[in-house]
Amino acid sequence: MQSWRRRKSLWLALSASWLLLVLLGGFSLLRLALPPRPRPGASQGWPRWLDAELLQSFSQPGELPEDAVSPPQAPHGGSCNWESCFDTSKCRGDGLKVFVYPAVGTISETHRRILASIEGSRFYTFSPAGACLLLLLSLDAQTGECSSMPLQWNRGRNHLVLRLHPAPCPRTFQLGQAMVAEASPTVDSFRPGFDVALPFLPEAHPLRGGAPGQLRQHSPQPGVALLALEEERGGWRTADTGSSACPWDGRCEQDPGPGQTQRQETLPNATFCLISGHRPEAASRFLQALQVLAALQEMSPARVLALRQQTQFLWDAYFSSVEKVIHTTLEVIQDRIFGTSAHPSLLWNSPPGALLALSTFSTSPQDFPFYYLQQGSRPEGRFSALIWVGPPGQPPLKLIQAVAGSQHCAQILVLWSNERPLPSRWPETAVPLTVIDGHRKVSDRFYPYSTIRTDAILSLDARSSLSTSEVDFAFLVWQSFPERMVGFLTSSHFWDEAHGGWGYTAERTNEFSMVLTTAAFYHRYYHTLFTHSLPKALRTLADEAPTCVDVLMNFIVAAVTKLPPIKAPGGPGPRPKPPAPAPDCINQIAAAFGHMPLLSSRLRLDPVLFKDPVSVQRKKYRSLEKP
Amino acid sequence: MCASVKYNIRGPALIPRMKTKHRIYYITLFSIVLLGLIATGMFQFWPHSIESSNDWNVEKRSIRDVPVVRLPADSPIPERGDLSCRMHTCFDVYRCGFNPKNKIKVYIYALKKYVDDFGVSVSNTISREYNELLMAISDSDYYTDDINRACLFVPSIDVLNQNTLRIKETAQAMAQLSRWDRGTNHLLFNMLPGGPPDYNTALDVPRDRALLAGGGFSTWTYRQGYDVSIPVYSPLSAEVDLPEKGPGPRQYFLLSSQVGLHPEYREDLEALQVKHGESVLVLDKCTNLSEGVLSVRKRCHKHQVFDYPQVLQEATFCVVLRGARLGQAVLSDVLQAGCVPVVIADSYILPFSEVLDWKRASVVVPEEKMSDVYSILQSIPQRQIEEMQRQLFMEPARRENWSAANHQMNSLIWPREQWDSQIINDRIYPYAAISYEEWNDPPAVKWGSVSNPLFLPLIPPQSQGFTAIVLTYDRVESLFRVITEVSKVPSLSKLLVVWNNQNKNPPEDSLWPKIRVPLKVVRTAENKLSNRFFPYDEIETEAVLAIDDDIIMLTSDELQFGYEVWREFPDRLVGYPGRLHLWDHEMNKWKYESEWTNEVSMVLTGAAFYHKYFNYLYTYKMPGDIKNWVDAHMNCEDIAMNFLVANVTGKAVIKVTPRKKFKCPECTAIDGLSLDQTHMVERSECINKFASVFGTMPLKVVEHRADPVLYKDDFPEKLKSFPNIGSL
Repeated sequence: MQSWRRRKSLWLALSASWLLLVLLGGFSLLRLALPPRPRPGASQGWPRWLDAELLQSFSQPGELPEDAVSPPQAPHGGSCNWESCFDTSKCRGDGLKVFVYPAVGTISETHRRILASIEGSRFYTFSPAGACLLLLLSLDAQTGECSSMPLQWNRGRNHLVLRLHPAPCPRTFQLGQAMVAEASPTVDSFRPGFDVALPFLPEAHPLRGGAPGQLRQHSPQPGVALLALEEERGGWRTADTGSSACPWDGRCEQDPGPGQTQRQETLPNATFCLISGHRPEAASRFLQALQVLAALQEMSPARVLALRQQTQFLWDAYFSSVEKVIHTTLEVIQDRIFGTSAHPSLLWNSPPGALLALSTFSTSPQDFPFYYLQQGSRPEGRFSALIWVGPPGQPPLKLIQAVAGSQHCAQILVLWSNERPLPSRWPETAVPLTVIDGHRKVSDRFYPYSTIRTDAILSLDARSSLSTSEVDFAFLVWQSFPERMVGFLTSSHFWDEAHGGWGYTAERTNEFSMVLTTAAFYHRYYHTLFTHSLPKALRTLADEAPTCVDVLMNFIVAAVTKLPPIKAPGGPGPRPKPPAPAPDCINQIAAAFGHMPLLSSRLRLDPVLFKDPVSVQRKKYRSLEKP
Repeated sequence: MCASVKYNIRGPALIPRMKTKHRIYYITLFSIVLLGLIATGMFQFWPHSIESSNDWNVEKRSIRDVPVVRLPADSPIPERGDLSCRMHTCFDVYRCGFNPKNKIKVYIYALKKYVDDFGVSVSNTISREYNELLMAISDSDYYTDDINRACLFVPSIDVLNQNTLRIKETAQAMAQLSRWDRGTNHLLFNMLPGGPPDYNTALDVPRDRALLAGGGFSTWTYRQGYDVSIPVYSPLSAEVDLPEKGPGPRQYFLLSSQVGLHPEYREDLEALQVKHGESVLVLDKCTNLSEGVLSVRKRCHKHQVFDYPQVLQEATFCVVLRGARLGQAVLSDVLQAGCVPVVIADSYILPFSEVLDWKRASVVVPEEKMSDVYSILQSIPQRQIEEMQRQLFMEPARRENWSAANHQMNSLIWPREQWDSQIINDRIYPYAAISYEEWNDPPAVKWGSVSNPLFLPLIPPQSQGFTAIVLTYDRVESLFRVITEVSKVPSLSKLLVVWNNQNKNPPEDSLWPKIRVPLKVVRTAENKLSNRFFPYDEIETEAVLAIDDDIIMLTSDELQFGYEVWREFPDRLVGYPGRLHLWDHEMNKWKYESEWTNEVSMVLTGAAFYHKYFNYLYTYKMPGDIKNWVDAHMNCEDIAMNFLVANVTGKAVIKVTPRKKFKCPECTAIDGLSLDQTHMVERSECINKFASVFGTMPLKVVEHRADPVLYKDDFPEKLKSFPNIGSL
């Protein structure tokens, strides 16, 4: 009886505990067995459908009939895009040829000078029939005369209407298929990929050259205001990092008051400036500015640094003068025509920019000397010597031997440019020697001969004297600075107060701004730039006054690099003092460039142990030290 | 239950009478019950952590079970798409909040089935691709399930293919979405827009202000800066894995693989084939395939059968010709195969053209020039072709990156919805946007190339001057001499003494040398070498002269000249004592060299000019553990700086002025130290360590140094700008 009772209680205890277990654990087990229900509030995400495998594809193969052949049409008649409104068949041959409608009646000075600048450019053509683009200037705001429909209008096909200043003129004719280049076009009328948006140019914008950017240092000066904001009546306010920033939800309640901000009349020295396209009332704009401030405070120093520099580059490359703006516009259109041989975007967006990096030279950035580092490439380790033999026409045998002796010399080119007949015999050299019969023009020296097969050119005059180790060392230096000119003999420019113009001196001084091209290393790209980008007038000037060519070449390289050339130790000894160029040469060139690009350097690059008190045996370039 | 209560009451009396056997039995029983309880308790809490770490919480339902919504015939219809919409007019940025991570948040509406008054469904509920696309968004960082925090809204109404939709009813379905508000901030995905006969190039469903990510936009319908152009999905690209093929010439020069081309276009292409023979291949559908062979995977030329898309890898250029629609799925196949697409589709907006530079990876030929296409392609230099091919490889590489982060996504050729989100993200947070280069540069270009942070050619004005920073510990007498010497340099604008000794106070103000420029003493919290390179707020000039407290042998002319040289090379280290790294062929590692050599690759920062930005880089952007390593070893901070600058600029140092003996009677100068054998071993170790952290040897060896123009020239000394140079 007792055992039964004991057994009974035992069973009871067991079942009770199992009941407990089932009660407590059952739900959990149930949950395991059944798909879980979403918990309210927990993150759900997109459901994984049980029958996702059965879903059909959005398109079944063979579903699409491919029969429509007419290209998509504009929603409303008059609109244009590049394919439908520009006839590229007229643009065959070498690039964009532009015809400019001559001015009718009295025109403003600006108008006249813009016409002159296009006429002097490489794009210009005389005949409207041979032109690929017909350009119509519409900028005579002051004279009050509005242009009428031009002769070859043809519904505006292949026309570009250039409006530099907002024109008061009503449109006297339908623009039709003409492209419009103007400042601040509206979203409704602007046709992307067809029209061109220009910067707004003040009336007094310089025609040519233009002031260089105001940036004097790469990084912002500590203590300078972070943000400047244009006020209603032309003044400026600044806000600094200390100013309380608003959260970015557009609900900034209180005006920070005058304590945190300062009012100024002129554009203050600030890291950022807030430009607002719209003109709402000042208060709300200021609140906007504080929101911007909040965003700016988050920006890393590296980014600020990059932005600052890019503003300067863009200003300098495309904005600083009317001429640059116009040339940029034409270059943009030319890129559309060129298609595959257009500038890659890198060339547009890194110094020196697309106006100075010609896509006719190459479309690969690594072919240009200024993009080597960025592209991880480097110039070839060899150079071509280009020896110009002008009058009296003595074959420079000694020079050829000295240059050919360099281990880096790949070839020698002799440019025979004098009245005497070509000598039949040339010295035996280890490297190939080619003779080119020149046209007796000085500018021939900088022609991009197809026979030049290396990146580096050693430009020489037959009368120069150089030793092999001078050549070797200077070439090594050039490889470190492939975008610059590396020369031996130098000269300087200076501002001549007495004459109110630039002066030139070849005297030995503590600084220099030019190297003589009678003995200098540079990249072969500069031959292309010299021949194809310089206005014809300047090349003619060089031909007429041969000593000018040095100055011109130095100008063009300095305009690209924004840096001075480099002087390598050139052999001493008596050498003919180069004749000084015509005094007016430098001023004429500076006028054509619109500014003075030359910069001075105070250093010379010598071998590391140059004239150091160590054993000569240790020195690699000991012959450079011979007095 | 009753019995159990009884038992419980009687329990205490019972237990003492129980036999040991039973006692053990009961204890075991209760332990089991207790364990069971604990386990149950555990179960109550355990699932939380499981749920959050995997897919358990995601609803597992059938598509057939989604709720049905009836759309009355008179329910509102949105306005047609507003062509003038731009980000600043039609997009509400304030919904995007200010997020510290600069990331937008995307909400997806729950899936519904829409039917009209008669119970007929409005469209297919959802397609496989749209389901995957939404899944990918939901798995990404952009996703939020909180409709109030969302910046972008993605309807689950599938409009990928316009042909499967009832246009009016679909629009009505959109309009009744809970946050529709004229479509503001709503993003629709469409790949096959338009329908016969006119084939509009954008989705015809009235959508008001909604953003459209569409395949096949033309310039007429694309709202620049508002819509996003996306590629048309190709199922083949997902199914087939093609082997990688390097750049270089291929068997065919030009290949056309599209089927169903318009006869006129086909005639043009075949004419090219006749003219240029073997190098052009024009493929078409196969007509005589045996049973069971997938016709989508085969292409034929006459009787020759080719595998598709494998055949695309055999060609340099592949034609992508427009059909009724501008966007063609073949573009995806061609890109995947690494064939350079030749896009012949006037006015077509190429996918992601807002950020991608298609010039680098494709050739666009106007339709009217189709017959010239061969000569146009022939005129492209081989190197440019190879660059394009390289650019194409970047796409698969990027895809891998993304799919590693998101394994659900490999079914789409591009993680396009993420790109869309990123593009829109960039518009909303432009200041945090990814740069053009980051979008477009293949990783291969990054290797070996540098992007110099000081890229603008600029010669800072002399008037700015430089700040001298003297790191010192306790050599006060020598420090004062250095201060006095340096203060004679005309361009010095401030002197900063970094007092690195925590146990000793710097001398009283009155004891310091009186100099003409401000002198500041900064006390450091710890004696670390990296204190020398900290970007102190006190540095107001761009040029910094780092100088040791024992460098008293440099003349004022030499220092001034050094500053002038720095102005001409502001992105380089410009210093006095030069050093060299060499490859030790016996030991197979780098070696440090301080002998009188013809080459330099480093300058010691015991006396060197550099841009203050490098202080910022040294302190905050030094790769790996180098900074701590240097502080721990109390050595090689100068070598680390040389590595850092060379690595970021790709340029060599400039050593200025002739060699001197850097020795002074009362102190261990740099040269004195350098002679020490263990010192040399340590320095070599540093070079090897840094090279391995940088993953490369960034130092550049040069054979030149900078001297004044007239240095040692036969010229009157008193006329030279820097006469006192090189004197020992």
